[in-house]
Amino acid sequence: MKKSHILSWASPLVLMAMLSLSGCSSVQPWEKQNLAKPEMTFEGDRLDTSYTEHIYSSKEGASGGYGVGGGGCGCN
Amino acid sequence: MAMVSTTRSTVFSALIASAAMLLPSAKSAYADAAPEKAIVGMKYLNYHDSQSGDTAQTAGMSRDRMNVNALSFMGMVPIAGKWSVAATFIEDSITGASPAYHSSGFPSSNAKHDASSGASGELRYAGDLTVTRYFSRGTLGLGTSYSQESDYISRGISLNGTLSTEDKNTTVSLGTAYNSDTISLDKPAVVASKQQDAPGRKKVYSGLVGVTRVLSKNDVVQLNFTYTHGHGYYSDPYKAPDVRPGHRNIFTVMTRWNHHFEAPDGTARLSYRYYSDTFGVRAHTFGAEYVQPLSKGWELTPMVRFHSQSAADFYVPVGAAELADPSTPTPPPVGALHYSEDQRLSAFGAFSYGMKVSKDLGHSWLVDVKYEHYQQRYDWCINGHGDPGVANFNIRDIQLGISRKF
Repeated sequence: MKKSHILSWASPLVLMAMLSLSGCSSVQPWEKQNLAKPEMTFEGDRLDTSYTEHIYSSKEGASGGYGVGGGGCGCN
Repeated sequence: MAMVSTTRSTVFSALIASAAMLLPSAKSAYADAAPEKAIVGMKYLNYHDSQSGDTAQTAGMSRDRMNVNALSFMGMVPIAGKWSVAATFIEDSITGASPAYHSSGFPSSNAKHDASSGASGELRYAGDLTVTRYFSRGTLGLGTSYSQESDYISRGISLNGTLSTEDKNTTVSLGTAYNSDTISLDKPAVVASKQQDAPGRKKVYSGLVGVTRVLSKNDVVQLNFTYTHGHGYYSDPYKAPDVRPGHRNIFTVMTRWNHHFEAPDGTARLSYRYYSDTFGVRAHTFGAEYVQPLSKGWELTPMVRFHSQSAADFYVPVGAAELADPSTPTPPPVGALHYSEDQRLSAFGAFSYGMKVSKDLGHSWLVDVKYEHYQQRYDWCINGHGDPGVANFNIRDIQLGISRKF
């Protein structure tokens, strides 16, 4: 992999994201009713996600990024 | 900002330093409590794709390609308040044909042969099982997966963990996975130059580091890095000319941001993924959807997605001879070790839009229907030069689902 290419594209994004993530958060447990809603999680509808990601990964040259694990396929 | 330097080495150092600053405060955005209810669900997929030639170079190439009907099941059961077991199973049936090179090289219409998977009426079975242990500030999940087609078997194991801070506002995720794939090369439809009795094998190792962070009572963000190293058989047995490198390393950065709007009680879900691999493919993928609950248990979720990728280093664009006679593939460059005329390795942009409608029926029953339309075009690419000799590619898919909690 061309490390320089990765750095040129990803570094500013990663740096900004890390800096924002490392900032202070003061959200208290009693303020998290909205965060607890299913649509605020990153998991979503498991079967929907499985179908949709399978379609994209079998028809595009790029895939992954959401997590690790799961089976491979002869379609890509 | 002092940490931002004009040199790449300094930027890289800053990344390391930022990561080091972040790790001691690693926490989980959500309570990692074991689920209280079991859930079972079922979903049906109807998929259809086609290609359309609407330029001078691709005129006459319009045709249907593949159809897929799939049925999947999922179940998750909490155990003793500290464990859960989750499983999914899918069966899909594929008919139709895909091109052997670029947008051409289809088998005869009578054969109804699927050039991408080796058989007409191809069936695929896949399942996975995950056992998760919940701790006061984290989770540990062990998973296994299996997928089988007539010409392809994949076996996988994975280990994923999370660790949260006491206030549950930050979670660090770590994961690793291993897949071992076996590709049959003795099927009649495998191109002659790739026919052999011994199967092709591929081993893939993956790792993930991620952070999820609550930014406010209405905002949560996630940053995931994944790195994958694979080696083995990467060529497509049914495509020619097509000889790919024997290894592929992949790096991705995924950022996601969910924001809840108080007044309409709706949620925006935004995502961006950067992708880079040793085939030379670089990709940017943007996603956005908005979840709007309505009265009487209805919920609407419109979505859009845009994907742009550059071509693989060894992609061979459509040449003059193929343009003149699409029944003849473009010869690969003289002396080239690796080459492919797979449309999926060309540069293109893809835009999709869709809508999901769900309805809470009461008594813990939920039904949903989703429609999505997708199109790939060579001239929608924003980070590369598309191949004007490749036809547009279109997908239409519909999902119907039902689930119940206990």
